[in-house]
Amino acid sequence: MEIATRLSEEVARYLDLAAAEAKLTAANMANVDTPGYKAVGMDFEAEMKEAMADVNAGNAAGPVRVRRVDGLISRPDGNDVSMDRESLNLAEAQLRFKTGVALLKQEYQRVMDAIHSDK
Amino acid sequence: MNLFGLMETSGSAMEAERMRAEVVAANMANAETTRTASGGPYRRQEVVFAADGPDPGFLDSMAAAGSAQAGAGAPAAFPPLTLPATGAAAAGVHIAQVVEDPSPPLKRYDPGHPDAGPDGYVSYPDINPIAEMVDLMGATRAYGLNGSAVQAEKGMIGSALEIAKS
Repeated sequence: MEIATRLSEEVARYLDLAAAEAKLTAANMANVDTPGYKAVGMDFEAEMKEAMADVNAGNAAGPVRVRRVDGLISRPDGNDVSMDRESLNLAEAQLRFKTGVALLKQEYQRVMDAIHSDK
Repeated sequence: MNLFGLMETSGSAMEAERMRAEVVAANMANAETTRTASGGPYRRQEVVFAADGPDPGFLDSMAAAGSAQAGAGAPAAFPPLTLPATGAAAAGVHIAQVVEDPSPPLKRYDPGHPDAGPDGYVSYPDINPIAEMVDLMGATRAYGLNGSAVQAEKGMIGSALEIAKS
């Protein structure tokens, strides 16, 4: 018998990706004054699509593809981190994470209700 | 994915920015210092930030431990992994070095000063208070930015703990 449902598996991957996004943002924020540092990011939608395919195929989660962010303006010291872009990204990652947690909680509650349905 | 690693990243930045603010404060405090342990007037200091390398993955740590155990000469138990160039993000930031400003000291005519040279001129550090204040503002802002990142990460960890509560 399985307690973990398909949805909970998917939401877990979603949480992983949200955490990965927050990590990249935190790394960019930490290096806001490092000369020559280039901002990094990930394609959330593409990663999520791949994660869904992995869940379908029953594969373990693969590594997140990290890439440089294009189209940012470099400062004279070669750093191209934009404070407002990073703040926005962190807020987004945080909201995604909280959404995932709410979904996961509800899903586990559903399983719990099924367990206690005889009462 | 380790959420606490996030806080370490932001924490390293807060530490580095605080160090930067300390160096700026030392520069401003010593704007008129004409005597130092190394002789001559105080010299302006500046921090150089450098990004930390990416987090060593579990397999890399295994490879390092394996080769350390095998000893010299013997082949490593696990070959080290070569990660693709776009592999991972920086794990944080650190201060690579604190450099001294090489610009010559300012000469001011003050023959009565105990550190005056034979020509009556005293060497003072070349410190511009406005430039120091701007640097301090930058450090404060970056510290605040990373502080709010820590706040956000705390929120995420807190909400993850909510899953366990029914």
